[in-house]
Amino acid sequence: MSVETRQSLPTFRMPAGFNGLLPALVLIVLFFVVPVMALLLRSVTEPEPGLQNYAALLGDGTYARVFFNTFLVASVVTIVTILVAFPVAWMLAIMPSALASIVFGVIILSMWTNLLTRTYAWMVLLQRTGVINRTLMAAGISDQPLPLINNLTGITIGMVYIMLPFMILPLVGTLRAIDPMTLRAAALCGASPFQAFRRILLPLSLPGIAAGGLMVFVMSLGYFVTPALLGGTSNMMLAEMIAQMIQSLLNWGLGSAAAFILLVVTMALYALQLRLVGARRMSGGA
Amino acid sequence: MLLDYDRMGWLKIALLGFTALVAGFLLLPVVFIVLLSFGSSHWLAFPPPGWTLKWYQELFADPAWLDAALTSARIATMTAILSVVIGLLASFALVRGRFAGREILRGVLLTPMVLPVVVFAIAIYAFFLRLGLGGTTIGFVIAHTVLALPFAIIPIATALEGFDKSIEDAAIVCGASPLEARLRITLPSIRIGIFSAAIFSFLASWDEVVVAIFMASPSLQTLPVKIWGSLRSDLSPVIAAASSLLVGLTLALMVVTALLQRKVRT
Amino acid sequence: MTQPFLSIRNLRKAFGSITAVHDVTLEIPKGEFLTFLGPSGSGKSTTLYAIAGFQDPSSGDVELEGKSLLAVPSHQRNIGMVFQRYTLFPHLTVAENVAFPLRVRRRPEAEVKKKVADMLALVRLESFAARLPGALSGGQQQRVALARALAYDPPILLMDEPLSALDKKLREEIQGEIRRIHRETGVTILYVTHDQEEALHLSDRIALFRDGRVEQTGSGEDLYLRPATDFVAGFIGNSNFLAAEHLDTKDGTATIRLADGSVVSGVRANGTFGKGQKAKLMIRPEAFGMERSPASAELNVEIVDVAFYGERRRIVARTSGGEGVDIRPTSAAMQSQDLAPCSRQVFFDPTAAFLFPA
Repeated sequence: MSVETRQSLPTFRMPAGFNGLLPALVLIVLFFVVPVMALLLRSVTEPEPGLQNYAALLGDGTYARVFFNTFLVASVVTIVTILVAFPVAWMLAIMPSALASIVFGVIILSMWTNLLTRTYAWMVLLQRTGVINRTLMAAGISDQPLPLINNLTGITIGMVYIMLPFMILPLVGTLRAIDPMTLRAAALCGASPFQAFRRILLPLSLPGIAAGGLMVFVMSLGYFVTPALLGGTSNMMLAEMIAQMIQSLLNWGLGSAAAFILLVVTMALYALQLRLVGARRMSGGA
Repeated sequence: MLLDYDRMGWLKIALLGFTALVAGFLLLPVVFIVLLSFGSSHWLAFPPPGWTLKWYQELFADPAWLDAALTSARIATMTAILSVVIGLLASFALVRGRFAGREILRGVLLTPMVLPVVVFAIAIYAFFLRLGLGGTTIGFVIAHTVLALPFAIIPIATALEGFDKSIEDAAIVCGASPLEARLRITLPSIRIGIFSAAIFSFLASWDEVVVAIFMASPSLQTLPVKIWGSLRSDLSPVIAAASSLLVGLTLALMVVTALLQRKVRT
Repeated sequence: MTQPFLSIRNLRKAFGSITAVHDVTLEIPKGEFLTFLGPSGSGKSTTLYAIAGFQDPSSGDVELEGKSLLAVPSHQRNIGMVFQRYTLFPHLTVAENVAFPLRVRRRPEAEVKKKVADMLALVRLESFAARLPGALSGGQQQRVALARALAYDPPILLMDEPLSALDKKLREEIQGEIRRIHRETGVTILYVTHDQEEALHLSDRIALFRDGRVEQTGSGEDLYLRPATDFVAGFIGNSNFLAAEHLDTKDGTATIRLADGSVVSGVRANGTFGKGQKAKLMIRPEAFGMERSPASAELNVEIVDVAFYGERRRIVARTSGGEGVDIRPTSAAMQSQDLAPCSRQVFFDPTAAFLFPA
């Protein structure tokens, strides 16, 4: 292209690059930023100005238990999700595409199915008289119904189910980006399959595992629906507590403060995740 | 050799077996719920003692279910249209624009996706109570559009990044006006991205529970709110029937997406 | 020939209905530098991969010192390899990459340190020990790969087009390094390339592959001066092929008639020909001279174009029958004004011309 046409191109652009952002920004500022800030304000003004809501939340053993539970559940869910997702992503990265597209189809179907539908199915499957308990008993594995629901087991199964696609899909990308020749080189260097896995494949997939795991952790921290339906009263998580404070107790001050703590933790971890992904992008370019 | 599918021996068998198990795990609730919806047992015995359509009859006989479904469809459609239009404008600015703070603005627009929905739900609930928008269709659409916008921007911006701008310039050099070039050249080229944006933002609203639980009023209930309410009272097989219809809808959307993608490729 | 060190016996490899390697048999003595040369798809890389253990042959055997390697998994074969693409471990430093094979063999740390230092000295990258591979140039990465492959003193080093991703100058530089390292370590090297110059420059012996078979094995000189087939003649060096009719053969030298009717005696016959059989005569471009000498044969050509290439000139010519002829006499042999487009005779030594079946 000649210099002449190149110079004339900017005049062809939309009036200004920025204008298109205005509707989105108005929407987000007016109906997202402002309401969230107003909520923050409430947490330090209700019932009276001051930090007493935060002091109450952080000083009380009952609330501490909820915080602990939230982190425990999110950690367990993240670890289990990583352990289950890695082998699947590994196979998906290298299996023949016809076979892989079937597995991808199953993943998408589960991901797109209504959240409540999936949770409902697990409620029915996991209940005392549900299929899983009956099967276990019929097979003689246990002689009485196992408590699979309204406890940590129930939350973990339900949450891992929901989080798996979010871990598998990015991990497939990470694993596909690893040159199979690198693993062949490792084998020829004398590395047994186990050594090649531990010293080469695992370290090379670590950025993907870390980014995906952090995302699952962040999402689990603030999850409401599944823990509320599959968890028990002793496993209450932060999101459910916030909802209760607002809906049942009408304690806006405490609820907003708890919400703000959740927001800060989430955003901090999200920022960390962005840095991880950014770092991976840089190293991936080499 | 750990990434050579044909050279992994027993390890491949083990990993494939595990993958099959996980696929089964992912499929289990979906298949189970559909089977259950045709089962005759009110107590959800499985395998069911007999097969019946009575849960579907009950579902269609109850105007509250149909009402909730129509409300959800209406809100989700409006949310999808609004998200795609706003997302399209924003994506052009984010991809093509050359102004300071572009990356930060992108981050701001995508924040609703990562912020726990509960936080947003109580914030917008309080805000709308004051504005008198609580429990209104317009309130629902606004709140859902905030949540759906990231799901519209990501596929459109990705498609736009993959589109060679010089093709649009070529159309302009050929005499098309800038707007015409965009409508006739660029938009058709990124139609898969726009279509994905529409589906994702539709689903984001259609499946949204948390905001809906706070915002719903007795006169305005979306389908998830209706299911939520039923779930908390009992696990009636009518929910299974409703859920199966939702699975059917998901499958239909998947098939349409797959067909469209194939059509674009050939 | 010394006692065979590595033998490849009747190796065959089929992928579904496609046979990549038909029947390859090679004996390689210890310390030899053998190059698998051939166009892409000729089966040379597949043969190398069978030795490395990346692919199981459909039939045949690979033996090292009389013992079959086939049942041995790659990581126990104790073979070194340098790949076409850079396969350094991107998360390990240069030193850690070289140490990797020693660490997985659980060698004592002091030995690992010393060996890594020796290896980096061998490839002259001592000062890069702490760098990550991403910070190295392509040539440096391949030298690290070489150090890694040699760190555990493997008896055999496989090299799969290791220089194909490098530019010409770097390629020549590293070729020199490879020759030096071969000399210093005495390792047996099997080297795959499609570049004939590289093969001629590096190897003791070349196995020329074509369509999954070895067409000819021999030193570079053998292949160049005594090609067994027209394919070898065409692949190694430059060559002209002229249509010819065989008249008579005596003691391995033949008399033929060229397309323009001229009769040439004393060319070398590859194979047996019947009287009147169609054949083709191969003459190297540099076998042509512009001056008549007592034993030379002559060829009538029309000169089309002349180009100056430093130590040689390149003359593009055409026979009366329209066959292109590439002629490369030394520059000193003539003045350029002698070569204005014209019809004239050029001369060649019939003993440097080969007759192949058409």
